Amino acid sequence: MPLTEIPLDAVRWLVLVGLGGLLGLDAVSWPQVMVSRPLVSGTVGGWVLGDPAAGFLVGALLELLSLRFPPFGATRYPDAGPAGLIAGAAYAGAGNGGPGALVVALIAGWAVGWIGSASVHWRRKLNARIVTPTETLASDPRTLERRHRWALRLDALRGAALTAGFLFPAVAIATLSADAGAGGPRAVIGAAALVTALASAAGAGGRTASFGLRGWPLILVGAAIGVLLAWGIA
Amino acid sequence: MTPRWRDFARSWWRTFAVQGSWNYDTWIGAGIAYCLVPLLRRIYAGDPVALRASLRRNLEPFNAHPYLAGLAVGAIARAEMEEVDPERLARFRTALTGPLGSLGDRAVWATWRPVCLLAAIAAYLIGLPAVWSVMLFLAVYNVGHVALRVWAFRTGWSAGLGVGPALRVEWLERGPVRLVPLVLLLIGLDVALLGRRVFELAGTGLPTALAPVAVVAAIAAFRWPRRMGRVAIGLILAIPVAWWLIGVFG
Repeated sequence: MPLTEIPLDAVRWLVLVGLGGLLGLDAVSWPQVMVSRPLVSGTVGGWVLGDPAAGFLVGALLELLSLRFPPFGATRYPDAGPAGLIAGAAYAGAGNGGPGALVVALIAGWAVGWIGSASVHWRRKLNARIVTPTETLASDPRTLERRHRWALRLDALRGAALTAGFLFPAVAIATLSADAGAGGPRAVIGAAALVTALASAAGAGGRTASFGLRGWPLILVGAAIGVLLAWGIA
Repeated sequence: MTPRWRDFARSWWRTFAVQGSWNYDTWIGAGIAYCLVPLLRRIYAGDPVALRASLRRNLEPFNAHPYLAGLAVGAIARAEMEEVDPERLARFRTALTGPLGSLGDRAVWATWRPVCLLAAIAAYLIGLPAVWSVMLFLAVYNVGHVALRVWAFRTGWSAGLGVGPALRVEWLERGPVRLVPLVLLLIGLDVALLGRRVFELAGTGLPTALAPVAVVAAIAAFRWPRRMGRVAIGLILAIPVAWWLIGVFG
C-alpha cells in the first residue's frame, strides 16, 4: 500500500494521541481497569483505523510476549497501553496486510513498550520531587491533593507524548512492509519463527504464573486441546 | 467526628488513583495520604493542628498492591478516629506493607488478570468477535477488581488495626494457587490457536516439524524463563533479517 493511502489523518492521529494519554494513565496511575492491556489498547488502535480484529490479533501476540513481566513491586515491565495502541493501529493501518506488517507492528509495540517503561522510571523519579517535602504537603491537604493530581496529569502527558512520537513512524513502516515476507519460503520461515517465539514466551510466562509448580505438562495439554479445536474450526 | 457515607465514598474512589504519585522514596505514601484526606478532614474537623500531624504521619513510606490499598486506608482512618498511639500506628503500617503487596500480586497480577486475558483471547480465536471478546475481558476482570477494592476498604474500616486475621481468608490465600492450572492450560490453548492464525495469515501450510520444535521451546522456556524469553524476542527481531537475506541470496 502506498503511504498516501494510510488512513491516519490529523483527526485520527489526535484521537489516538488522546487515547494514548488515557491508556498510559490507566496502567499504573488511574483507574487501573486494564484498558491499558495490549489486548484492549491494540483493539482500540485497530478500531480507530477501521479494523479492530487486526488490532486484537497484534494485542493478543503482545499479551503472550508480556506474560513474563507482571508488575510486581517496583519491577520494570513494558508500558503496554501506548505500545498496544500503536501496534494495533500500525497493523490495521497497513490494511491487515501480510506477515510483514504483523512483524513490524509487533516489533514496534515491543520497542515502544520498553521505551515507555524507561519513561515510567523517569516519571517515578520526578514524582519523588513533586510529593516532597513532607512538611509542605502536610501543611495543607489541598497542597497534597494538588501535587498528587499534577503527578496524574504528568502520567497522561507521558502516554500522549509516547503515542505522538511513535504512532506515525510505526504506521508508515508497517504500511511499507505490508507485502514483505509474503509467499514462498519467506512466509514459512516468518510464521515458523513467530510461532516458536510465541511458544517460548508462553513457556516463560507460564513459569511466572506457576508459583514454582512443575506445570509445563499443563501447557502441553492446553496446546493439544488447542490443536484439536483448530482442527475442528478448520 | 465519625466520617459520613459521602466521605467514605470519596476516599474509596480516590483509591483508584492511589499510585498516581508512585515514587522510589515513599512508594505510595503520598497516595495513601491523598486517599485519607476526605476521612481525616471529617475526623479532625475543627482541629487543623491534629489534621496536619495526621497527614505528616501518613505521608511516610508505604507500599501495597493498589487494589488492596483501600484496606490500609480504611484501617488507618479507623485507627486515627480511635486516637491510636502514633508509634503503634507506624508499626502497623510497616507490618502491613509486605502482606498487602504479595497477596495482591499473587491474586491479581499473577492469576486473575492472566486468566481473564487468556480466556478472552481464546474466546476470540474460537469465534467471538474481537470487540465482544475485549468487552468480555473488561467486564469479567473488573467485576473481580471492583469487588476486591470494596472488600478491602470495608474490611479495613471494620477491622481497624485487627486486619491481620481478616486477611487470612481462604479465597485470597488459596484462590490464586487454584487458578494456576487454568492459566497454564489457557496459555497452551492460546499458543496453538494463535499459531494456526499466524499460518493462515502467512497463506501457507503448517510445517509438520514445527510442532515438536514449539513444544521443546515451551518446555525449555519453563525451565529457563529469562533466557528463553530473550530467545523469543530475538526470533521475532530475526524475521526481517531472514527475509532480507532470502531476498539477497534466494
